[in-house]
Amino acid sequence: MKKLRAVILDEKMDSVIRELHEKGMVELYDLTPKLEDPEWGALISHSTPARYGRDVSALLIKTNRFLDLFDNVKLEDNKGGLKDLLNPTLPEKKKVSFQSAEEVISHGKSILEKVEDEAMEYSHRLNELEGKKNNLQQLKKYVEYLLDFDIDLKYIRDGPYTYIVVGLIPEDKISNLKKEISNITEDYFEIIEGKPLTTEDGERKIPVIVVTLKEYMDQVGAELRKWGFEKFDLSNLEGTPKENLDKINREISNCESEINNILNKLNDISKKWYSELLALHELLEIEKERAESYLYFGRTERTYLLEAWVPAKYANKVKEDIERASDGYSVVEIDNPDEPEEKIPVMLDNPKPVKPFEMLTEMFAPPKYNEVDPTLLIVPGFLMFYGIMLTDAIYGLLLTLAGLLLWKRLGKVSEGAYNLGYILTLAGIITVIAGILTGGYLGDFLKQFLGFDIYNTYYALVNPLGDSLFIGESNPLFNFGSISVNNGPIAILLFSIVVGIIHLFIGLSLGFKESLEKKGFKEAFLNQGIWLFLILAIVIGLAIGMPSIIGVAVGIVILLCMIKGYMSGGILDAGLGAMDITGFLGNVLSYARLLALCLATSGLAMAVNIMAKLLGDSVPVIGIVLAIIMLLLGHIFNFVMNGLGSFIHSLRLHYVEFFGQFYEGGGKKFDPFKAKREYTDVTN
Amino acid sequence: MVFENPLLLGALGAGLAVGIAGLGSGIGAGIAGASGAGVIAEDPSKFGTAIVFQALPQTQGLYGFLVAILILFVFKSAPEWAMLGAGVATGLAGLSAIGQGIASSAGLGAVAEDDGIFGKAMVFSVLPETQAIYGLLVAILLLVGVFSGEGVATIAALGAGLAVGFAGLSGIGQGITAAGAIGATARDPDAMGKGLVLAVMPETFAIFGLLIAILIMLGIMF
Repeated sequence: MKKLRAVILDEKMDSVIRELHEKGMVELYDLTPKLEDPEWGALISHSTPARYGRDVSALLIKTNRFLDLFDNVKLEDNKGGLKDLLNPTLPEKKKVSFQSAEEVISHGKSILEKVEDEAMEYSHRLNELEGKKNNLQQLKKYVEYLLDFDIDLKYIRDGPYTYIVVGLIPEDKISNLKKEISNITEDYFEIIEGKPLTTEDGERKIPVIVVTLKEYMDQVGAELRKWGFEKFDLSNLEGTPKENLDKINREISNCESEINNILNKLNDISKKWYSELLALHELLEIEKERAESYLYFGRTERTYLLEAWVPAKYANKVKEDIERASDGYSVVEIDNPDEPEEKIPVMLDNPKPVKPFEMLTEMFAPPKYNEVDPTLLIVPGFLMFYGIMLTDAIYGLLLTLAGLLLWKRLGKVSEGAYNLGYILTLAGIITVIAGILTGGYLGDFLKQFLGFDIYNTYYALVNPLGDSLFIGESNPLFNFGSISVNNGPIAILLFSIVVGIIHLFIGLSLGFKESLEKKGFKEAFLNQGIWLFLILAIVIGLAIGMPSIIGVAVGIVILLCMIKGYMSGGILDAGLGAMDITGFLGNVLSYARLLALCLATSGLAMAVNIMAKLLGDSVPVIGIVLAIIMLLLGHIFNFVMNGLGSFIHSLRLHYVEFFGQFYEGGGKKFDPFKAKREYTDVTN
Repeated sequence: MVFENPLLLGALGAGLAVGIAGLGSGIGAGIAGASGAGVIAEDPSKFGTAIVFQALPQTQGLYGFLVAILILFVFKSAPEWAMLGAGVATGLAGLSAIGQGIASSAGLGAVAEDDGIFGKAMVFSVLPETQAIYGLLVAILLLVGVFSGEGVATIAALGAGLAVGFAGLSGIGQGITAAGAIGATARDPDAMGKGLVLAVMPETFAIFGLLIAILIMLGIMF
């Protein structure tokens, strides 16, 4: 990573920004904190966002409004279904060739004007109609409550001397209400009750008409509110409730048909303009980002000062770009980073076949500046562990297909899906190979249903649940003391531990090298060296058949751990240091999960097969159907559970056991200043 | 031989395996599920995520079920005490699912706030599975007859099962640490590495258990 510093003439600044934004090879460095320093502040002042930013924002708001409108009127049939979800179509990229923000703004204005011309009238009308429809529906509800009253509604309003209201009152409050009103009005009142009903909220209420003298209006009104009276506003209605209901229904359906008409029209307009608006939205967002980028810079009377991080390999290219875009009215300097390491961004740079695996590194933490990038090292281990843990040829095939679907289909629009799909596809292929080696085809499906025992043939190397022709009771791989490697599980366990030790050895070697460079030999030896020594001692001890060497090595290692602990914190830590050996042992034994998960897959698959067979044999007639359902559900379940388990446990072995030896992470990811283009494409 | 038919002790082992592990998984999945229900109430689109996190503590129950099937149908000729020991190992170690449920519940809460943390939360939530895997490992070693001495053929096998089984309860502590570490990582993504170091500490005791179980099976004391 390099630090780029450029001083650029103000009238050339915008074209430089446009160039940098399109290329996306630098991360802008915010100068604001630096300018707080009085010495800098005397020379350079804060810069403000470009003036066109305000126009862009205004247009952006308008564009969003139309996009919202069109989203709301979209008819059901052009919303995407499952098929579209699984195979999204890429939006067609619109070719654009704008040279300045002003051009984009005038283009945006003209488009929005046209859309406004066509759609605004309908949009207003739509709002109006929807308001009207809501009112009608409210009115309809009131009238429905009053269907019991056979009375012309025009009489239900105040007369010269009377006060009349209609509404709903909770059923249990009515007697109280009557009592109170009778007190207030000295019995000059009438309450006509309808049939009790249950409202939409599930409350029991009674529609009532309350009649009294006008002089009691305020007091009665207050009383009604107190008892939870809900007043109906029927001031424009004439005729009986029944007649009104018919009329309102007619009006609602008129309203609806007109709304539908407008929706259709808007939908046509939407079809014509939607993609145009999406492209415009994107263009405006890009311009906005450019306008706001000015906040990062410092300025003098006629120039801007720009600082940015640029990956070393792009540095010269970016320098040329700036000089060209500014027609030479610029001074560009490229320096080594002048900041503490934790502030320097880090860009992972791996070849294309490895790139998707960066996802796994970043999930832990991007490397610190100058730390080794572990991505390439993850690849073989991750895939191999995944394969060993899932170990079933058919499951592997399923995983490959699922991976391809993610990679080639969903991956078109989502980077995450692309990366995950790529990783799963490779993991699936390795799983198929591991499945063939261990003879797993839906567990022991072949043996249970077809009577073909693959472990009696030479087609399977090892049986995770017992003997095979290659490794079995009669043909042990080898004997070691009293332990005989004479069946599948123990062979796989041995393999897991050996792989684990190799894996740890690689991690420790890297850690040793890193410590040696950064902290010196003593640290490197005490942190990683002793374990490398122990592993070598174990290998040599076993190779020449002298287990006593291992014992001596363990003793030395414990002693060294105690010394290390003593140096860091006295006697107590020395005691704790002696326990370090169990940590190392734990790391090694942790790889035994390779066997455990491998066994869990084939064991559970076998359990599914056994149960399906039992069902098929014992239930008459429909047994075969039940057996097939059992097989389908059982194997899908097992595939998903163990597929997920293998992924996470493989990841864990890398994060905890492997990274623990050499990798810390915690760097800041390089975040380029780059125009995001999904709907548009630049042509010059 | 304790009973005339060695499968009697085997059946006892199978029952313990599926029973105790089921208890652990049930509680763990319940804890994760409660958190899941809360998350779904806020955002129904998180249903899939909730299911995935709830699935994690269910694996221990599956291991118990697997070992029960293995005892009853596959390794019927294993020594009777080995069968019982295998059941006890898988069953007790399956109680680590309680810890995993606690961790998953925290993971789910973190993912509800921020989708980006899914992978990290997953890694933490899967830590307390190690204990169950050790239990399964010892069960398999007992059943397949890797070791054939008195360590497997006598009541000593039960000792091996108890060692790795009870040590597997460290998974509960690990789950609690993992839950805390998920919270820390959600606040500061850089805390992941150090959080992992703290969260794997309780595993030490599971390793002690595993080690003693292996020494017993080797019959090293005879």
